[in-house]
Amino acid sequence: MTASTGPQTGVTLYSFTNEWLTRQFEVDTLLAEVAKRGLGPNIEIIGFQQFKEFPDVSDAYAEKFKEMIAATGLNPVSCAINSDRFLKPGQQPIEDAALVEYHKRQLRSAKKMGFSLVRYQFALPVHLLPEIAPYAEELDIRMGVEVHAPMWAGHPAVQAYGEMYDKLDTPYLGWIPDFGGTASRIPESMLDAARAKGASEDLLDKLKDVWLEQGMSHEKAGRLREWGMAHGHAPLHIQAACLAFFILSNHDPKSWAALVDRTIHIHGKFYGVSEDLVEEAIDYDTILPLFKDGGFTGTMVSEWEGHAYDTRDAFEQVRRHQAMARRIWGS
Amino acid sequence: MLPVERVIGEEGLCLCDGGLKLAMRLPWYRSLPFSVVEVGPLSINGDAVDLSDALIEYDGQRWPLSENGEKVDTFWFIRDSAFLILPSVHSDAGSDCEVALNLFVSPPYIPGMKRTNPQTETLRVAA
Repeated sequence: MTASTGPQTGVTLYSFTNEWLTRQFEVDTLLAEVAKRGLGPNIEIIGFQQFKEFPDVSDAYAEKFKEMIAATGLNPVSCAINSDRFLKPGQQPIEDAALVEYHKRQLRSAKKMGFSLVRYQFALPVHLLPEIAPYAEELDIRMGVEVHAPMWAGHPAVQAYGEMYDKLDTPYLGWIPDFGGTASRIPESMLDAARAKGASEDLLDKLKDVWLEQGMSHEKAGRLREWGMAHGHAPLHIQAACLAFFILSNHDPKSWAALVDRTIHIHGKFYGVSEDLVEEAIDYDTILPLFKDGGFTGTMVSEWEGHAYDTRDAFEQVRRHQAMARRIWGS
Repeated sequence: MLPVERVIGEEGLCLCDGGLKLAMRLPWYRSLPFSVVEVGPLSINGDAVDLSDALIEYDGQRWPLSENGEKVDTFWFIRDSAFLILPSVHSDAGSDCEVALNLFVSPPYIPGMKRTNPQTETLRVAA
């Protein structure tokens, strides 16, 4: 295999959540479908979505998975792991030692299945990184924390992680940008889904205004809920509108430049790419050149999240998204 | 809920141990420990069901629903149905029941979030 000279494309199986939840595919048939359609070879899998044995995958299943990978010619780049700290709702988070061990279990599973990096989450308190990073080094598997909406390069949590990254100074820790944090607008397809549930235009106009305001996602959702109830909108319609606050925020697309150096992988979040290869809410023409020009040679996996409100053909959406990336990156 | 999510499982409702057994699906995109899933309220044909003697059946194991909150290391695989065993609810095979079930999900990496997932469906009781 030759060393990559520029950004690579791939897909996260999360894009096919609708097909997976409705039992249309098994792991082997889904991998085969991705390979057959030429959407790989680079893939990401959420451990807790596709693997029943997660977080403790057996040697036997790991071997079986490697056989599936060999049969399809795919490349298991990233395994998304979870920082599940709040296992008892309403009670205290689990002890630090238990959370560290929970990460180690997932790291071991990802490694034995052949993944080269894991996605982890900010729910892991930054002070635990010095305990986990040496274990990742020992296993020889990189860890990228996902910078997901409402976070972005300028968020205080990202700054705190950046300071710890400087202190630990290891190539095993990095960033995984998720472009939903720098959306330029709410996707029209998402608004259409709310309309289909009965949400009226004045509620959606208010949503667009509040979405642009400052504040945390739950605060903004609270603001819209309060306004909606006061103006006679049904709770179901308000709930449909509030989805936008939790998966998208509107920070500056150019802000990703600050994270390029330590970016090890990318979630190419998207909602709908048109036939002429333009994403409806996220400004890829501004964002992607930052990474190519900054020397990024890892993988951007196409992550279609329209399935949160839509049942369009996910495979076709991923095909378009990858074609869009090639258009912009020129490869 | 999301477009394809459901809380009433495809396997529906059937007779079981003198009572009923209801299939449930986890309304999320990934597996979760049972401890973050709150089952109920449940009503059948408009009557609220007392869940104090209900059991969960999953992957060859059974435990009282009241112990669900302690199941921090038993994961409900997102593709699987889990089953709610209702020893004190009686119905006849072949009869139709209107089942209204809500599951509350608190994702363990998003503090303070609690999703409500109501679903109502008419099911025919299988033998």
